[in-house]
Amino acid sequence: MHLSVYLPLVFSGLFGTAAPYLARRLPPAVATFLLSIGGLLAATGSAVSLALLGFTLVGQSPLLAERGHWSNSALRHADPVAAPVAVLALILLAVLTVRVVTAATRRLLALRDGYRLAAALPAAGGELTVIDHPDGHAFAVPGRPGRIVVSRGLLRRLDAGQRRAVLAHERAHLIHRHYLHHAVAHLAAAANPLLRRLPAAVGLSTERWADESAATTCSRETVADALTRAALRRSDVWRLPATVLAAAVTELAVRIQALRDPAPRLRLWRVALLVTLLLATTATAVEAAHDTERLFENAQAAYHGTPHRIVLMREAP
Amino acid sequence: MGKRRAAGSLESEVLAALWAADKPLTAGDVVDALGGDLAYTTVQTILARLHSKGAVDRQPAGRAHAYTPVLDEAGLAASRMRAMLDRGGDHAAVLARFLGTLSPQEEAILAGLIARHRTPGGDG
Repeated sequence: MHLSVYLPLVFSGLFGTAAPYLARRLPPAVATFLLSIGGLLAATGSAVSLALLGFTLVGQSPLLAERGHWSNSALRHADPVAAPVAVLALILLAVLTVRVVTAATRRLLALRDGYRLAAALPAAGGELTVIDHPDGHAFAVPGRPGRIVVSRGLLRRLDAGQRRAVLAHERAHLIHRHYLHHAVAHLAAAANPLLRRLPAAVGLSTERWADESAATTCSRETVADALTRAALRRSDVWRLPATVLAAAVTELAVRIQALRDPAPRLRLWRVALLVTLLLATTATAVEAAHDTERLFENAQAAYHGTPHRIVLMREAP
Repeated sequence: MGKRRAAGSLESEVLAALWAADKPLTAGDVVDALGGDLAYTTVQTILARLHSKGAVDRQPAGRAHAYTPVLDEAGLAASRMRAMLDRGGDHAAVLARFLGTLSPQEEAILAGLIARHRTPGGDG
């Protein structure tokens, strides 16, 4: 088979590396969709690639060849994928499938519990539930309807404009269903380790998206002040692991800086570059699938006694 | 400021203002607490709606009413949120947070970063 079968892996890797950087300076809504939908496409492309690599070997089993009416010896002769490569692809595919199924199950259960939590929260205040806690907390709980949970400590620390900013920020998470983008990026990373930076990138882009949404209800400066005011306060409760915190500090600095800058413009070359990588991933995956199909068609022709077509096939570019 | 907002979000803002206050607020106090860009009658309507839903208590204050938010005595919401966060992993990930809580060291790093961001522009 041709080089095209490996190209989806290469392009998905390039996407996984470039996307988090290129997405940073884009309008966050555009960035989020590019990262999540793009991640899904890239992960599908790489999975197709592995499946095709593996299937050329699986297809050589006499049992399968008999049922599919193709010549397994013709297939073996025509197939340039070395057996160890095919075996490796099959093992990888199996491991990644288990990873995806596990990640999907966990995330679905967590989302179900999120929906249950949203339904169980005291609802007298409409979308907003306030918890009587001195620390600064604000959460968006996905559900039908989704709920906003903030601590009294946070509200007391903010002025009217900043409170509005926090509420608008959390509301944006719910309205734009950011939890779905998070879940998709998480699954893409499970399906293809080359996309492992996507979940954090989507995390940042959705926070930025919510910040920009909040900035439509008040000034950008007010949103930045709300972030700063909410962060600069000692807290020992509901502590996060150190790695998450270090990331949170970096992320917060990025968000505050972004709010001090003007709203990001759509930079078409960044979008075009990412879309090109995604198109390349998809196109090469489709091309590889066609190649494999031809391979099997020729093996079927050989099975029915017209072996000269195999020779033609092997000479084709 | 002064940009358009949906009715549901106004309700949240009024409730948030009551929670942020140290004492019961009259409709006039709430108008002030919200920065004065909402009409008195609008705030009055929202307060009446919140009261009928049981989100706020009210007591007479002169010729008007003063409102206080109804406390979740059992801390039900807090314990449910905490149970979800304590499960960690995907469960914590599902709850998008405004920002995480920071340790003193991280606060120091952050304060430094913010200061650095402010100096070049000189407008912070």
